[in-house]
Amino acid sequence: MIEWLTTTNHKKIGIMYLVATMAFFVAGGLLSLLIRAQLAVPNNTVLSAQAYNQVFTLHGTAMIFLVIAPFGIGLANFLVPLQCGAPDMAFPRLNATGLWLFVLGGLTVFAGLAAYGGGAASGWTAYAPLSVIYEGSGAGQDLWFIGLLMASVSTIITAINFVVTIFLFRAPGMTMWRLPIFTWEMVATSLLILMAFPSLAAVLAMSLIERHMGGHFFDPLYGGNPILYQHLFWFFGHPEVYVMILPYFGIVTEIVATFSHKPVFGYVGMVISAFAIAGLSLGVWAHHMFTTGAVSNEFFSAVSFLIAVPTGVKFVNWIGTMWKGSIEFSVAMLFAVGFLLNFLIGGITGVMIASPPLDYQAHDSYFIVQHFHYTIGGGSMFALFGALYFYFPKIFGIKLGEKMGRWVFALMFVGFNVTFIPMGFMGMEGMARRVFTYPATGHLPLLNAISSFGALLIAAGAALFFVDVVVSLRKRIPVPDNPWGGYSLEWLTSSPPPEWNFESLPPITNRRPALAE
Amino acid sequence: MPLPYPPFERLTPGLGTSAHVEWLSNPASTHGVLMRTDWYVFIGAGIFVGLYVYACIVWCLFRYRRRTNRDAEQFEGNTPLELIYVAIPLLLVFGLFGVTYALEVPVDRVARPVPNRIGVTAFRWSWEFQYPGRAETFGTPNAPPTLYLPEGETTEIDLRSADVTHSFWVPAFLFKRDAIPGMTNVFDVTPTRTGNFTGRCAQFCGLDHALMSFTVHVVPRSAYDRFVASNGASVP
Repeated sequence: MIEWLTTTNHKKIGIMYLVATMAFFVAGGLLSLLIRAQLAVPNNTVLSAQAYNQVFTLHGTAMIFLVIAPFGIGLANFLVPLQCGAPDMAFPRLNATGLWLFVLGGLTVFAGLAAYGGGAASGWTAYAPLSVIYEGSGAGQDLWFIGLLMASVSTIITAINFVVTIFLFRAPGMTMWRLPIFTWEMVATSLLILMAFPSLAAVLAMSLIERHMGGHFFDPLYGGNPILYQHLFWFFGHPEVYVMILPYFGIVTEIVATFSHKPVFGYVGMVISAFAIAGLSLGVWAHHMFTTGAVSNEFFSAVSFLIAVPTGVKFVNWIGTMWKGSIEFSVAMLFAVGFLLNFLIGGITGVMIASPPLDYQAHDSYFIVQHFHYTIGGGSMFALFGALYFYFPKIFGIKLGEKMGRWVFALMFVGFNVTFIPMGFMGMEGMARRVFTYPATGHLPLLNAISSFGALLIAAGAALFFVDVVVSLRKRIPVPDNPWGGYSLEWLTSSPPPEWNFESLPPITNRRPALAE
Repeated sequence: MPLPYPPFERLTPGLGTSAHVEWLSNPASTHGVLMRTDWYVFIGAGIFVGLYVYACIVWCLFRYRRRTNRDAEQFEGNTPLELIYVAIPLLLVFGLFGVTYALEVPVDRVARPVPNRIGVTAFRWSWEFQYPGRAETFGTPNAPPTLYLPEGETTEIDLRSADVTHSFWVPAFLFKRDAIPGMTNVFDVTPTRTGNFTGRCAQFCGLDHALMSFTVHVVPRSAYDRFVASNGASVP
């Protein structure tokens, strides 16, 4: 116990990240079930308006800041030193600091629920002046700002650690152009974090100053400007969505290449497109502000469209990797395919709402809710489960149940689409996001009922996953070092890897050192 | 060219009967009709690209599934193919941006001189409408107000907020614009037919955001003039 609390070993820290993010995933998932329960029928009273607003705020906050982004970081903590052939991260104690700041930050946000006046209730975007003056005058909103400030600092220092580790701690022969795509995606992700997260830390700190020390940054009565909050927030917020997807692009690439039993198709294109996406994502933030009438819609629309090009390159390369391969349908591969099918819908709806005349209707409606769930949920979350099935044997030395895993995938894939396809139509019928109730007009009752039913299927799939974990941990069927025929360095060492990762390393002469004869 | 109504209308007779259902096929403003073209272009392009990529994925998964009599071919890329697949999306998004730009400019332009001007103030959690002269109406979350607009006339909306950021959304116009404290957002709307249309706040604004709705009642010019001339006494 003390050993785990005080460890600076990257693998133990990585495991603790994964456990913590999965715990937050369960909490965030239960909150989403409350949302779907309330919206299952019109004019429902399962939750009061006040409770509903706290629930959706915490659901979004948990899934974005405490699940999808830090799971990628946690998995990278485990994998990046192994894939580089390094014994540990460059700054082990900084790494432990990052973990505990993240865990305490997450608990601080959740602690808001117990505060007088309830938890934060101004959405995960916490727009000023709503969040700083009006909503949640109690401590809940303060704890939200403070908790996320801790999480943002954690993310920044961990990103520094990744960059230094990958640039300076590679094994002899592991040149940059031989790194696995996952590690490359973490380079792009980390650089993006270093550009974007200081803006989040600033806006959170400014909000706290405005709440308690008369900052007036966002208050027009004192010369402040609510638009300033949106600029600072989205300058972080849009890169954040790529922080939530680039690591998962890497995971999907590794899974698809491994189970197609082929090298990655267009390796260089994969790397360039990751940096193109990261670079462009720094210039699109105001597409979240098309309806403010305060930004250049043409500029931000044009740059947003351009992101489709490098993302398209990735799709071509994933399909190219499967092309003429010998595709093995493991559970991890099924989740990777689910990622491809779902994320494509998120990408296409994303191009639609990059067009301001479309966004004038879609913005802040359930159309947007559908869009970002297809990217973060249908995309990142499916890759997350693919990663769990793919790396569980390496991390714990135990295989997860491939048979039960198929049911997990089937329930989640069907459930996900049943839940989120109707939301696009709800948005077109005029249902705004973040509403605790809706009138019994048009197709809204039918569409919402279908959506809530789908949420139950996703929940059943997630529950079955945890059953699978418990059953597998009980059975403890040992696995070989390289159960899938993986090609990167982590598959060369034992499962689980020894404390210093490698007893010895062979000469590294190509991109697939684990397959070298 | 109106699109047919989604087929589940016929499957759910009891649920699809309300007059409040708005769909792309029948926007109620001139800008809405313009933007509908944008929707059709993007929906068409999206379906085409989506089906093409789905077909590629499913074909690969089926054709190259693991079989005992064939090994995976070991190759690392195909540069001409990759370049083609950079060029095609690039051309596609250039085209889509062209359509976007052509439609956005007229939608964002505010007509001068203004035939009719209405001040709209959003507050937590309802709306206040100020017409030319002294006519003025406002609502509450439980008694949403009605905004009267003349049919076939261009009305300028001067949008303000009294407290936090709201958003003025009329789905039948396919349009929304934010009401931001400290600034006035100006846009115009030209309704194409009379009738009642639902409007609501789209930007989350706190406790009763869900109840912050209003009705847009588009009336003939003569009825609107009587309404304004009587300072709101003669309700159309």
